[in-house]
Amino acid sequence: MARYGMVIDMRTCVGCQACMAACTTENQTPFWSDKFRTHVEDKEKGTYPDVHRILLPRLCMHCENTPCLSACPTGATYKTRDGIVLVNYDRCIGCYACCIACPYDARYPYESDDVTREKELYGKNVTHEVPHVDKCTFCEHRIAEHREPACVSTCPTQTRIFGDLDDPSSAVHKLATSGKATALNQGLGTSPKVFYIPS
Amino acid sequence: MTFVHQHVWGWQIATYLFLGGLGGATFSISAILHLFEGCDRKMLSVAVLSSIGFLVLGTVFLLADMLQPLKAAYALTNPNSWIFWGVVFINFYFLAAIVYVIPLLEEWPKLLPIIKKIPTGILSLLERFNRLAALGGSAAGFLITIYTGLLISAAPAISFWNTPALPLLFVFSGFSTGAAYLLLLSTISKKEGAWKISEKLEQLDAILIVSELIVLGAYFNFALFLPTGARESAEYLFHSPLFIIGFFIAGLLIPLAIETYGIFFAAHSTKSKSLLAFASALVLVGGYLLRFYVLNAGLYQYPW
Ligand code: SF4
Ligand code: SF4
Repeated sequence: MARYGMVIDMRTCVGCQACMAACTTENQTPFWSDKFRTHVEDKEKGTYPDVHRILLPRLCMHCENTPCLSACPTGATYKTRDGIVLVNYDRCIGCYACCIACPYDARYPYESDDVTREKELYGKNVTHEVPHVDKCTFCEHRIAEHREPACVSTCPTQTRIFGDLDDPSSAVHKLATSGKATALNQGLGTSPKVFYIPS
Repeated sequence: MTFVHQHVWGWQIATYLFLGGLGGATFSISAILHLFEGCDRKMLSVAVLSSIGFLVLGTVFLLADMLQPLKAAYALTNPNSWIFWGVVFINFYFLAAIVYVIPLLEEWPKLLPIIKKIPTGILSLLERFNRLAALGGSAAGFLITIYTGLLISAAPAISFWNTPALPLLFVFSGFSTGAAYLLLLSTISKKEGAWKISEKLEQLDAILIVSELIVLGAYFNFALFLPTGARESAEYLFHSPLFIIGFFIAGLLIPLAIETYGIFFAAHSTKSKSLLAFASALVLVGGYLLRFYVLNAGLYQYPW
């Protein structure tokens, strides 16, 4: 049993959005509707002349205390033994209670138009056969094959570090506990498993 | 920090919340009036039937907003979710309301042949449990009304919603729309017994509007003095003319003024009848606008 998590080193992100592209092809997410499982926020901070550009890649935080899971009436949202928060597409009724509850904008609807377009693009080889609410899975299908999530292995600057937070020898554990990394919106008590090293 | 309007729940869910509150409250008030005050049975049957209709219609709006409405039965899986409880309350309500309303339908001569087809054993059982169904249904109606607020208050990142003041506001507003709807029925009804109850209803509605104003004041007070998304939401509402004019002035203050006039100056004369009907209609429109605008004003507070 692992406790998977990610550290994002904002000091090295260059905003190339390769992670978004890798994710969308790996997981057939509806880029045609401008919906992604991971985004790179590109913000300005401060006022002239003291202005900084902030690049903040974001995704589902796979929270320990999971508001989306509590809000989901159908049990479609569930947590694996490894702490990954997933959606069972066949069980999801698309009520959006999870989207309202998620404090990190991590979910979006995979609508029937998106399913149709997906079939046009990918033929029989589709992964989203019915409309549902979609989110990042930490690429658990790749983890099962001992591969890293697509965004992690694609990132040219190694901004994303993935692994078992409970394994003291892992890079992700060392960075997450180094004192340099913090979680977003900690005050909400969600205990995210994605951490950020500020730029 | 960025504030982003939620676009997940729109007018369909606002309609669901409105009809849920209206239906639940209409039943609760009718059954309580019946039990403790006595009320014209014909008007009562119309009230209960329409409250069932409101909840059926509300449920249709909820289902229409879903991606997979045909799988809606799965919603009875997770008791930590408010939607789970909504489904439980609404179904319990339907059961109690149907048990309660069937004996009342005997008041309608045209429906008698249908009622007579029900075996007498069942009919007498329904009669026997009539008071219990009234009480159970009222409790379920109240729970549905408060649930409409609890559902949207379970949003940690939408601070305007994430407060116990919101369910309270929806309870007062829901009960006020229920009282207004019954008042409307009693002004339309030609029966003396139905008109008699309107005195109680206008007093009840006026009290509910005053309570709603107090909760509204506390709610906005909380929202405006916290440096969070709640303040942005409150400011957004202050700059929405239809919220101020349609809900606050036309949906609360004007009906309250009319009802106060009705209570103190018109001495329950029939000349205030059409004015009261007008006030009731305004309360109903205001109740819808409140839910529509509260949903619209939901702002996520994102940490980036
Ligand atoms: S980030 Fe959102 S979707 Fe992901 S686990 Fe947390 S609440 Fe759920
Ligand atoms: S949209 Fe799907 S995953 Fe989200 S709360 Fe509803 S049933 Fe659960």
